[in-house]
Amino acid sequence: MELQKFTYDNKLSRMFLYATVLWGVVGMLVGLTIAFELIFPNMSGGLEWLVFSRLRPLHTNGVIFAFVGNGIFLAVYYSTPRLLKTPMYSKTLGQIHFWGWQLIIVLAAITFPLGLTQSKEYAELIWPIDVLVVIIWVVFGLNLIMTIVKRRVKHIYVAIWFYIATWVTIAVLYIVNNIQIPTSFLHSYPVYAGIQDALVQWWYGHNAVAFFLTTPILGMMYYFIPKASNRPIYSYKLSIIHFWALIFLYIWAGPHHLLYSSLPNWAQALGVAFSIMLLAPSWGGMINGLLTLRGAWDKVREDPVLKMFVVGVTAYGMATFEGPMLSLKTVNALSHFTDWTIAHVHIGTLGWNSMMNFGMIYWLAPRLFKTKLWSTKLANTHFWIATTGMLFFAIPLYFAGFTQALMWKQFTPEGYLAYPNFLETVTQILPMYYLRAFGGTLYFIGLILFVINVWKTIAAGKFVRYQEDEAPAKPAPKPNEAWHRKLEGKPLQFTVVALVVILIGGLVEIVPMYLVKSNVPTIPSIKPYSPLELEGRDIYVSEGCYLCHSQMVRPFRSEVERYGEYTKAGETVYDRPFQFGSKRTGPDLAREGVKSLPNYKPSSWHYNHMLNPQKLNPESIMPPYPWLIEKDLDVSDLPAKIRVLTSLGAPYPVGYADGQAMKDLQAQAAEIAADLHNAGIEVEPDKQIIALIAYLQHLGVDLYNGDSQTQLSNK
Amino acid sequence: MASENIKNKNNEDYEIDTLTNDRLIKDHSYDGIRELDNDLPPWWKWLFYITIVFAVVYLIRVFVFKSDDLIQEQEYANEMENVATAKTAKSAGAAEFHVQLLTDDASLAAGQEIWTKICAACHLADGGGLVGPNMTDDYWIHGNTVEDLYNVVTNGVIEKGMLPYKNQLSDQKRLEAVSYILVKLQGTTPANPKAPQGKKY
Repeated sequence: MELQKFTYDNKLSRMFLYATVLWGVVGMLVGLTIAFELIFPNMSGGLEWLVFSRLRPLHTNGVIFAFVGNGIFLAVYYSTPRLLKTPMYSKTLGQIHFWGWQLIIVLAAITFPLGLTQSKEYAELIWPIDVLVVIIWVVFGLNLIMTIVKRRVKHIYVAIWFYIATWVTIAVLYIVNNIQIPTSFLHSYPVYAGIQDALVQWWYGHNAVAFFLTTPILGMMYYFIPKASNRPIYSYKLSIIHFWALIFLYIWAGPHHLLYSSLPNWAQALGVAFSIMLLAPSWGGMINGLLTLRGAWDKVREDPVLKMFVVGVTAYGMATFEGPMLSLKTVNALSHFTDWTIAHVHIGTLGWNSMMNFGMIYWLAPRLFKTKLWSTKLANTHFWIATTGMLFFAIPLYFAGFTQALMWKQFTPEGYLAYPNFLETVTQILPMYYLRAFGGTLYFIGLILFVINVWKTIAAGKFVRYQEDEAPAKPAPKPNEAWHRKLEGKPLQFTVVALVVILIGGLVEIVPMYLVKSNVPTIPSIKPYSPLELEGRDIYVSEGCYLCHSQMVRPFRSEVERYGEYTKAGETVYDRPFQFGSKRTGPDLAREGVKSLPNYKPSSWHYNHMLNPQKLNPESIMPPYPWLIEKDLDVSDLPAKIRVLTSLGAPYPVGYADGQAMKDLQAQAAEIAADLHNAGIEVEPDKQIIALIAYLQHLGVDLYNGDSQTQLSNK
Repeated sequence: MASENIKNKNNEDYEIDTLTNDRLIKDHSYDGIRELDNDLPPWWKWLFYITIVFAVVYLIRVFVFKSDDLIQEQEYANEMENVATAKTAKSAGAAEFHVQLLTDDASLAAGQEIWTKICAACHLADGGGLVGPNMTDDYWIHGNTVEDLYNVVTNGVIEKGMLPYKNQLSDQKRLEAVSYILVKLQGTTPANPKAPQGKKY
């Protein structure tokens, strides 16, 4: 058979490697910063760009899309040509992909601190950047698929299956979750509202974990573990079964982020059932990775690359065991809204994603630069510091989450909440936050050792830009291949089948939420937000309040007692975007405005609290937001906002956007300013704080204004 | 990768991986990566079957039987019903409560704890007042007797922002907090006293 010669170009691999290392440092540094901000709430120094609630999206997006993202592209650009025996289809597309992706990251790093956000977790980027993401993702997909089309091998390897599933699914998820109607160049409202928005978001959010933090990393694992250990894959059959089971089942599991919310029982039940079934397919990946190392365990003892991979894959197994357990409603009733979730995701990210990235780069850097790793000893030190750091991060947070959940639920024998003051439950777990910050610091020190080692390795070697290889032309298909083997020879059909498989779960769950009226029963007293409340809500979104305060009272005695009536689907119909939140570092705010409930605070309290939370609660860990008091409310987009909301179905009066809306806004602002004046506080009615107070004082009010007999199921 | 060629009893060629003695799949080689022909581990298969059975039973319980413990509105109603029963049983046996100023150290210490945890958020820890009125001066908006204060703490003054605490603190705890104000805070000098409100007593 005649061998054809061709050349791999390592330039893009090198670029993605640098980007991975750089953004790893940046993303984790931001993470470390916000870990300390939770202990020292005044660390942001009153600077709005540094406050926890604006930096947290920068951390999550930074580590997910910048650090892990560039690592994925490194794996894809390095392994795909070698697995398919052809260079990448287009160097130009590769360059556009690389620089476009870095531009997106830089734009994220600018817009989040400025408070420009859509507030959907891991989908916070504002709409113009979303458009850019989609364009770049298409460029990436085109380059990947055309490379596959031009391949010299007949069948595509399991790593490529995972790359394909990643590409199609992320495209679907990202586009559907980001359908928004712009009100200006920097702001938009989602076409989905309230509980529907929440379902779409967590279908996205959960599957961002599945198809950005899992499937491409499994692809990475399937290439780099056998390469680094020089061992065959444990089981091809297992690859087939766990691949298809994983991508089919994963997409259904989103509703487990909304257990005990106002999502209908049927949708929650599907989320639970499919999450439980995900256990074995996830572990299929773990055992195929670990058992590939049979016969090479002696190497694992010495080789830091394999050590990183082993801990990475094991952490994947731990996180994917915990995930289904957290999806059981009894466990979720405790874990949700607490630090338990934070611990869980960091086992996945610090353990699985980061360790896989580290291992891959420790293996690749010497090969791309034709040298040896600068220091194996330093890499081993990194390994131990990172592993210890991860444990110091996660274990205290498990303890914190469990403790706080039990405190929230504890009643005295007389039938009162044992800890009616939310802050008490925060103060109790604060020592765990110190330990977490210590664990994070350790992990970061390990990262610095990694950077030094990679840097020294690169400095000592010489970059190998072009690598020659040879392979016969693509052979004709053999007769009598098994059905899956046939499919492996037809990547385009493979892609279409994968697309169909991942669409099923989403369609079954999301479509009925729109078409079946009974899923969101109407509550007559729920009215659209007044113009001032709407502007206040947009400030709430922009500042990222939802990152520490939920607006979702679950149907438990302990929550109804603490916060008020549990949240109904029908009261969220004008909430664009929804603001359920996923973590309660502070108390729930869904009923904040209801005067007869325990959490009600007068406007003067909110004013003083935003200015200096510790003056009112010395132990509070909320950061100050003094700029809300100084900055004017920008109302220039109000007419556009009202028009967009009207077009989406909010029943504002005809022509409300043109004039009356502004008058109403000013009248309500004057009222609040007068109220504050009576409490001895002088503030102009056109400040941001006025709008935010208007919104906070409205929370829950419509529900309680309705007919209490039909709307409130208890009391 | 260590491997060798072997013939099986039907005289077919196949390769085995010499480190594990597992059979390699013919023609499966990608950039040098080979694949073994191992079956799914039985324990893994059973794990998968069990989770599928669990899921099916779970869905049947929700969709067909609408089990009480899986329909959350019902679960909540049941939880509240149990509490109501327990409360009625308890209140039948409770002694009558008297609102009388407490002066013993234990009660005042308990009162101080409640003050710092809850009241201080509006009245400040030293009682000087900020959102709520100053508790150290002689001026009172709603009266200065232990009954007056107890009533304000119990039922609140909603239009002014004072919350009712009858559902959050027991009778005894409310009385302890009120006693702490009258015995300990009254007459002290706070750091930044709020201007007097109400009438002098």
